[in-house]
Amino acid sequence: MTLGPVRSAVVAEGIRRRYGERTALDGFSLEVPEGSVFGVLGPNGSGKSTFLALVAAAERPLEGSLTILGRAPARNVRARIGTVFQENASDPLMTPLEYLLFAGRLFGVTGQAARERAAALLERFGLAARAKDPISTLSGGMRRRLEVARALVHRPALLLLDEPTTGVDPEERKLLWETVVAERDGATVLVATNDLNEADAVCDLVAFVQAGRVVATGSPAELKRGLRKQTVRVELQSPSSEVEARIAELAGGENVTAANGELLVTTDDGPALAARLFATVGAAIRGLRIDEASLEDAYFQYVQRRREGAG
Amino acid sequence: MSAGARATSTAERIRAATGGGGAMQGARVALAVAVRDLRAVARARSQLYSSVLTPLMLLVFLGNGVSQGLEPSRLPAGNFTAYLVAGTVVMTSVFSSTFSSASYYRDRDSGFLRLLLSSPHDPRTVLLGKSLAALLIGAVQAFLVLAVAAPFVDFGWQHGMAAGFGLALLTVVLLNLMLTGLAQALATRVQSMQGFHLIMNLALFPLLFFSGAFFPVDGLPAWMKLLAYANPLTYAVDALQLATYATGSGGFIGYGVDFAVLGVLSAAVYGLGFSRLPKLTFSGQ
Repeated sequence: MTLGPVRSAVVAEGIRRRYGERTALDGFSLEVPEGSVFGVLGPNGSGKSTFLALVAAAERPLEGSLTILGRAPARNVRARIGTVFQENASDPLMTPLEYLLFAGRLFGVTGQAARERAAALLERFGLAARAKDPISTLSGGMRRRLEVARALVHRPALLLLDEPTTGVDPEERKLLWETVVAERDGATVLVATNDLNEADAVCDLVAFVQAGRVVATGSPAELKRGLRKQTVRVELQSPSSEVEARIAELAGGENVTAANGELLVTTDDGPALAARLFATVGAAIRGLRIDEASLEDAYFQYVQRRREGAG
Repeated sequence: MSAGARATSTAERIRAATGGGGAMQGARVALAVAVRDLRAVARARSQLYSSVLTPLMLLVFLGNGVSQGLEPSRLPAGNFTAYLVAGTVVMTSVFSSTFSSASYYRDRDSGFLRLLLSSPHDPRTVLLGKSLAALLIGAVQAFLVLAVAAPFVDFGWQHGMAAGFGLALLTVVLLNLMLTGLAQALATRVQSMQGFHLIMNLALFPLLFFSGAFFPVDGLPAWMKLLAYANPLTYAVDALQLATYATGSGGFIGYGVDFAVLGVLSAAVYGLGFSRLPKLTFSGQ
């Protein structure tokens, strides 16, 4: 028996989208296999939200082609898409049950089928006991779970999640993801996030996005493969190009990136590099930490390679 | 570097950023907040214009109208209380439809509008649904005012009570259709709810004053009469007066013109509203 080719839920080829002078997507190409949990990862402003807007048929690309669930993007394709926005979309005066029934009606699930589906989702998402309370009385985590339940009410083939766990505590975050994965019923999940550790834990495949382009795609394991084993994070007393240059020299130059006020140096021997740094520029160092290589490190390395390629 | 030294330097940074506390720093923050709010008001031109123009219009239109138009001999029929009912019904519609249309902003700010727009339905369907709710609320409230007032005032009921109520109901529905269409067209264009209310008040208060709601249009100075005939609310007041208060059609515009004006304007404002539809957006887009 041979397996047929893997079908794609989303195929984007060379998409460009501009807002006035600002280019949001610049030759964005991506293929999301059906049934996968696919992470689109990048910093704020990298083009993730614009891509989700295109997939949700809220925008049209100026150039390039886009296929969603085998069709060109159009409003009616939304009947097979469930969307969780970064902010809650619920009416705080409704009850969770009313909210799910209303969402069902919007997406064509009505009557007894809607009532059964809503009851089942409330049960599975741990909200059955609060089904008839005003949504305004639910905790932040419960409201996020309700959003995911709402997006699943019509059994979508594609679930779009835009920063779904922003502002959610770690315990709720874990519970939310476990429920999403368990209840998606074979749906493809396309999640946009800037939390790379979270993506590392839940995504089958990820795409690194920077300045409106995809710079790398693959499974988290594939993208981390070939990385140096450790990352030394250096916080300086004060920014100094002279010290940064010295650190780059000690690290062999090409493995140094700056992010969030820190210098990230990838290496196969973190303790040895740390000792060298303290011996030469120790007075300029405020703090230093050695981490095992992560998806975040892979992201910065791919972004740096692209910058160097562009330079 | 020791943890203690790092903690000390962090505390120093926080102290430097907050200016070390004290009354002087508090005053600086209060002043900064005040300047920011004043700047916001200065930038909201509509708020400035409204705060000056509304009281001026009250003086000009209501003052002129009451002093020149309110002699009992100028009332077409019955007493002034009966005369005022039609105007009160129109005023109720104006306020009710305006407040109901504010739900657009509530849905937008709570995120609920995003859910509506992420559905496979045309945004016009969403807007029509919201307008329908505002129309029903406005029409029911306005008609209730008429129904409650009717037994206590001396209406002419020139077509009989049942037909009069029917014609009044038709007028109230057409009026609220026009008002909710106008509110919706504005809501999709004006960014803030405050701005929306200011514009509605700025437009609708003066329209109420010279619509015949509080004093008859006949006998007003020519320039006010001209404004009155250019005012859509005049036609709603006229139709309501004809249906309930009047004993004959003399001195009134007439149902044909009244309903035609309200119908055409309703279609126009809905056309305007649908020419600019809300869009589904994602955060950070």
